[in-house]
Amino acid sequence: MSRPSFAGSTAIIGIGQTEFSKDAARSELQLACESITAALADAGLQPSDVDGLVSYTIDPVEETELVRSVGFPQINYSSRVPYGGGGAMGVLLHAASAVASGAAEVVVAYRAIRARSGATRFGGAKTTPSPTSGHSGTTAMQWCMPFGVLTPAAWMALNSTRYMHTFGVSSEDFGRAVVQLRAYASTNPAAWGFDRPITLDDHQASRWIAQPCIRMFDCCQETDGSVAVVVASGELARDTAQPPVLIAAAGGAGLFEQEIASDHYRPDLSVMEGSVALAKLLFGRFGIDRGDIDAAMIYDAFSPILLMQLEGLGFCERGEAKHFIADGNLGLDGALPCNTNGGLIGEGYIHGLNLVLEAVRQLRGTAVNQVVDPDAVLVSASRTGAILTRP
Amino acid sequence: MCPHCGTLAWGAVDLSGRGTVYSFAVLHHPQNPQFDYPVIAALVELDEGIRLVTNLVELLPDEVEIGLPVEVCFEPTADGMAVPVFRPRVLERRQ
Repeated sequence: MSRPSFAGSTAIIGIGQTEFSKDAARSELQLACESITAALADAGLQPSDVDGLVSYTIDPVEETELVRSVGFPQINYSSRVPYGGGGAMGVLLHAASAVASGAAEVVVAYRAIRARSGATRFGGAKTTPSPTSGHSGTTAMQWCMPFGVLTPAAWMALNSTRYMHTFGVSSEDFGRAVVQLRAYASTNPAAWGFDRPITLDDHQASRWIAQPCIRMFDCCQETDGSVAVVVASGELARDTAQPPVLIAAAGGAGLFEQEIASDHYRPDLSVMEGSVALAKLLFGRFGIDRGDIDAAMIYDAFSPILLMQLEGLGFCERGEAKHFIADGNLGLDGALPCNTNGGLIGEGYIHGLNLVLEAVRQLRGTAVNQVVDPDAVLVSASRTGAILTRP
Repeated sequence: MCPHCGTLAWGAVDLSGRGTVYSFAVLHHPQNPQFDYPVIAALVELDEGIRLVTNLVELLPDEVEIGLPVEVCFEPTADGMAVPVFRPRVLERRQ
């Protein structure tokens, strides 16, 4: 397969976000308007410069309302990415493809969410699919509901327990990752976990959500807020306000029998097969080596899937993530500084798109927990991902 | 449509009702009033090779382990239907 034309020719030129809270006290539409306005200001652009919109099938903000509210004069391209959280980084593939093909010039990717104060809490135990679970494939989900397997934590716990069993992984192993994430979050003023670091003992004392794999502190934060990124051609990027961050690679790998986290039918659930396929794609088609990656932002809705993705992406061997983490490799001095904003566990859960903003800050050199001169940062959410670079 | 053979016809097949626990999770929180907690959720791999999401019954949460041999039984649902759940297979039941 040849290298897709968007690789290196498209860039993230603006990022914006609202505050992250447990009660935004305003609609998702308003939150999206605020983050998009901030992202356009960051890029030095006006709404009239935008002609493309990309979001997720589970985002509640209608494009039509967004156009009406922000005041976009004409949208020539719009799309939505399926697969729930696993689709988090897919918006970069959609936006970059649209720009590189000429279908659009400036694309805004956005996510707005009231995961805590909304009508249904994101992690709540609901017996019917909701906007947080529907639209992305619910065939397997209906086989979960009659058995009380109602939440993202419960769906992912079944994979996580198998992972622990196969590789001899313990709750403490997950806890060491969480301690690192909370340490990052503790210095990030935008994070839920700002000034709230935890110890491994704190982690082990937190109550069980799904035994033996997911304690309360292994879970991401149900968060209210919105983030947006502006994607355009690398050419246009040279004239905008911020140092451009190139989309050097992007891809998605939706495999047979996958949907959002409620699917349990792939042959070996101790392996994150979407990550394996994604890594093959990102490191195979774009001329970038795994060793070129200076930092990674990995979808950590629950801590076990962070370990599983580190292995799936090939940053360590299968079953070795627990040692990789115990050796401090996710820290700023480690081999792969990871989720330096605190991740979804420490900063907040904006569908994982907030991890893209952190990758951009790292490459601009403006992160709170700054890696020294990174050239390439990987973002991934299981089956979707991208590699961002400095020009 | 069947993704393996492309047929649009479908039918019912008798299964042995026997399998082993492929994975599990003891669910404590959050709680839905329609269930008794902790819920023992499991993936059971049937002898025929099919994997099911289900519940384990007639055992304590700390007795669950991967590889445990189990057999089907049925529990009524709130709306008058029944769902397949699994209990540990014991010697006398196998005879």
